[in-house]
Amino acid sequence: MSVPVIYSPQYHLYNFGPQHPFSPLRLEMLLDLLEHLGHPLQFVEPAQATREEVRSVHLESFVRRVEAAGRGEHSPDFDHYGLGTADTPIFPGMDEAARWLVGGTLTAARMVSSGAAREVLQLGGGLHHAQKDLASGFCVYNDLSIAIRHLTEQGLRVAYIDIDVHHGDGVQWIHYDEPNVLTFSIHESGRYLYPGTGHTHEIGKAQGTGRKLNIPLEPFTEDDSYLEVLQMGLEPALGWFRPDVLVVQCGADAHFQDPLAEILLTTRAYAKIFPLLRQYAAAFAGGRAVYTLGGGYSLDATSRIWALLYLTLQGLPLPDHLPEPWLRRWGTQLGHFLTHTLFDPEGAYPEIPRKAEIERRNRQVTERMLESVRPYWS
Amino acid sequence: MLIKDVMHSPVLTVDVGVTLEAAYHIMLQRNIRHIPVTQEGRLVGMITDRDIRLATSPFATGGAQPTDTPVGQVMAQPVITGDPLDPVEEAARVMRQRKIGALPILEGEALVGIVTGIDLLDALLRLTGVEKPSGRLEVCLDDRPGELARLSGELAQQHINIHSLLTYPRGAGTVITVVRVGTLDTRRIARELRQKGFVVQWPPEIPSKRL
Repeated sequence: MSVPVIYSPQYHLYNFGPQHPFSPLRLEMLLDLLEHLGHPLQFVEPAQATREEVRSVHLESFVRRVEAAGRGEHSPDFDHYGLGTADTPIFPGMDEAARWLVGGTLTAARMVSSGAAREVLQLGGGLHHAQKDLASGFCVYNDLSIAIRHLTEQGLRVAYIDIDVHHGDGVQWIHYDEPNVLTFSIHESGRYLYPGTGHTHEIGKAQGTGRKLNIPLEPFTEDDSYLEVLQMGLEPALGWFRPDVLVVQCGADAHFQDPLAEILLTTRAYAKIFPLLRQYAAAFAGGRAVYTLGGGYSLDATSRIWALLYLTLQGLPLPDHLPEPWLRRWGTQLGHFLTHTLFDPEGAYPEIPRKAEIERRNRQVTERMLESVRPYWS
Repeated sequence: MLIKDVMHSPVLTVDVGVTLEAAYHIMLQRNIRHIPVTQEGRLVGMITDRDIRLATSPFATGGAQPTDTPVGQVMAQPVITGDPLDPVEEAARVMRQRKIGALPILEGEALVGIVTGIDLLDALLRLTGVEKPSGRLEVCLDDRPGELARLSGELAQQHINIHSLLTYPRGAGTVITVVRVGTLDTRRIARELRQKGFVVQWPPEIPSKRL
């Protein structure tokens, strides 16, 4: 049985301009790659999220400003709400564009909560930095939190898993005191990378204490260490929490080619991460999961990683060599050679001299995280 | 950051006539270690949990004092105090030099607050912490006039907001400057700063990174 895919051509409206890293080209390259691989996308069109749905998470004052900014109005307090900043510039129709992405994730969540599907792939969204009254880090509305809110309102326990290289701060803060939402983010340490949070001592508050988990990784972390601590931290958490559904943010920016961060995963790691998460969904969440996209700023790496996600979820074979016409077309357009295999070759980047120390520190930080949340697991 | 921004107020005090036992129980109950001692409303001394334990210990010189001794006989005096408008680093320096754990804060004669070592740690966390989502740039600047202005000018030109800024000297002639900036794309900023001749320590240059 194939996994339904949510997608709308309207997603391309979410566009901060040609120089901005959060580029709709990522989706275009992915869809083109799938087509060249002989799997033209079959998708379900989402309903655009309504204003009320957005308001289930975001404040009225914020939504009003996003709408005004999208209409071309000006206000001196926009930057107070994170709008019109270097990362999240204003563009015409930004409210509508952001509501399409929210609608996609919400549609995916509804399909799972209604029992229409067990796993759903939303080919967009994953805007994990947006807070209830703040646009931040390329994110206007938090589609993930809006979907999570829908799921918890249906009485479901949600485990949110965030493999984006940046801390999933927006989702964490929005659900910080909620007992029915476990958040788990594995990312490059906030000591080095945006947004600066996601430390092991952030464990939730009130009823949510012990249910917000963070693994801040050392810069230059590689495949083996990443996979080791991902399993070490996530498996016991899911085993204890027993969610009804997973919401997974599949940011692709922990790749070694990614220009915005310093983690060094290869696509070989992603080929293990996605099946592992699926296995966790089956073992701990009745097989129910919503997968979204997220960050990912190397077009070369991101299109291959999300192709891997797609192929893994559909149970399709993983090709080694990528189709020549696709490589030619996009290589020409981007003006540089693309990696011609789905799996990165061995030795794709120089050896890291601190490897052993990095592995030790990642293990230690994961132990520390577990030690600080376990007393609240009962 | 001023003392008034970090101090605790109102302050719990005890009268000189209160017994050591009573004062000790207040400390246990309130989970505190220092209490200013007053006489007719005026600050006359400080009493700490350590003072009380030492005074009542069999190891005390001259033998253990009875637990109903008034705190006035054991308290430290004269008291070292601070002013609400002193900068926090002033409080830190005094407490470090005199090796004391708390500083009562006086406005004229009136006791208006107290600062403890823990409050100073909180101040350090606020000064170095992350209050807003932001990226981190670490730039090594020459220790001469205008360098910081040159850096902030570059950031301003790129419409990058500075959330916080911390500098400290390293060796002779250079100052490490840690800037928390309102952008996710610090690697691009670093690249542009390097082109302008800045020595950027973080984020580092990594040749394998590309679009």
